[in-house]
Amino acid sequence: MTVPIGVIAVLCVYISLGVLDQISMQLGPYSPLFGGAITGLIMGDLKTGLIVGATLQLMTLGVATFGGATVPDFLTGSVMGTAYAIIAGKGAEYGIGLAVPIGLLLTQTDILARMANTFVQHRADHYAELGDYKKVERCNVYGVFPWILSRIIPVAIGLIFGQSVVSVINSFIPTWFMDGLKTAGLILPAMGIAILMRYLPIKKYFSFFIFGFVMMAYGGKNFSILGAALVGLAMAGIYVLFASKKKSAVVATGNEDDDIEVDDDDEVEIDE
Amino acid sequence: MNKLDKKDINKVYWRNLFGLQWGWNYERMQGLGYSWVVMPALKKLYKDDKVAMSKALKTHLGFFNTSQPMSHLIIGADLGIEEKTGMEDEMAIVGLKTGLMGPFAGVGDTIFLAIYRAIIFSIASYMALSGSTIGLLLPIIGGVMIAWVRYKFTWIGYRQGTKLVTEFADQMKTLTEGASILGLTVVGALIPSVVNYSLDLKYKMGKVTLDINDMMNQVLPSLAPLLIVLFSYWLLGKKKMNSTRLIFVLIALGMLLGNLKRIFGL
Repeated sequence: MTVPIGVIAVLCVYISLGVLDQISMQLGPYSPLFGGAITGLIMGDLKTGLIVGATLQLMTLGVATFGGATVPDFLTGSVMGTAYAIIAGKGAEYGIGLAVPIGLLLTQTDILARMANTFVQHRADHYAELGDYKKVERCNVYGVFPWILSRIIPVAIGLIFGQSVVSVINSFIPTWFMDGLKTAGLILPAMGIAILMRYLPIKKYFSFFIFGFVMMAYGGKNFSILGAALVGLAMAGIYVLFASKKKSAVVATGNEDDDIEVDDDDEVEIDE
Repeated sequence: MNKLDKKDINKVYWRNLFGLQWGWNYERMQGLGYSWVVMPALKKLYKDDKVAMSKALKTHLGFFNTSQPMSHLIIGADLGIEEKTGMEDEMAIVGLKTGLMGPFAGVGDTIFLAIYRAIIFSIASYMALSGSTIGLLLPIIGGVMIAWVRYKFTWIGYRQGTKLVTEFADQMKTLTEGASILGLTVVGALIPSVVNYSLDLKYKMGKVTLDINDMMNQVLPSLAPLLIVLFSYWLLGKKKMNSTRLIFVLIALGMLLGNLKRIFGL
């Protein structure tokens, strides 16, 4: 099945909105979940799209651009993976397997876009010297184009040649490799979780981590993530309650440090 | 000196909501975007003073990078200062921006990127896996709420200025700690539910068949996913290891684990 030109155009518009969402409000269209769902909807197989999108989303939960670091473009990966799964008619697993390497490959276009914008930054510096604020203003708007092009070009090319790409994959890539990719898809969510563990203060609060794990590992059938989140919220609430109590107690004694006893000693010394 | 009115502040808010990162680049990161965001205020304040305008433009084009929701506090406080003293004390403005962007990035990324995203999107994804599209509304509802918080942040920053913004950030530290507890509980809970791998290896000894995965689960349910997560966590602590490299390691591991039957000829 070749992808109609209209479908490609709509997906290009979507991916442009998606990347703008990614660098601004992060409402949802930027996420692999939406990428799969919307591609599935447009190409007439919503169910496959939802599965590919949701699986990729779970895989990349902790993968975020902390401090402007470049991460693989899993949004485009999700769109292409879903599209290829539908073109090939081989089900969601096939799409998931392809989405990961595609996302990895497209890390490079993201880097190119961020590098291209250094050029507009320099133009803006030049206009700032002249005090020409209107042109400085325009430079930031021009910055949109590298972002959009870096997503539209791979999507358009990948979909125009979609049928040939799929047949190449089917005839040249061995079964063991696709099996391996499928298993990789099952264990890759570990990466997102590990990143979150590195990012959050796990050494200080490991007890809550154990709590969450045990709740789901032993009670997973009768429990959900939402339930775990609510338990976590309750424990966070208790923490904040005690933290603010401690703080007001500290304020009442006139000390700002956490360790009241030591401070009392200090005060005695000062009094002497 | 001209004064800013409500309309100017709101214009800055909308620009910040959408365009802080359009011109993101490796050299100054959000620097170009920052100048664009505060431009409605700069126009009002320095329209008749070309020297001050040029100085302001150059100051705001400088290096800047922080968590987007938190940037509203900094930008609000910046507007408050510039409205009073203009570009007279540019070092105070540079100090405000560079002094707060680091700590705010830490707090903001923890709450808005790590914890919020992990919770909202894992719930939405589970709903999607069972074929429901209603879950897709969750991030949108959450996003609109965050936009409201960002609106409040702009005004808090503008009205309260540097000192109170800094104090506000201290209060947020308690919140961040609380949010970390919530986040880590969810992260722990995610392991058994998100990492769906089970070791497909059965070992035949005469009449008895040993299912390795069953044995592992008798020790601890979801032991295999836990081990893979701990392995990844350990690897991430290594020098020269980053998330992209970890993906390759895990794909290689997948290639191995996915072909165990072929390897052992079972």
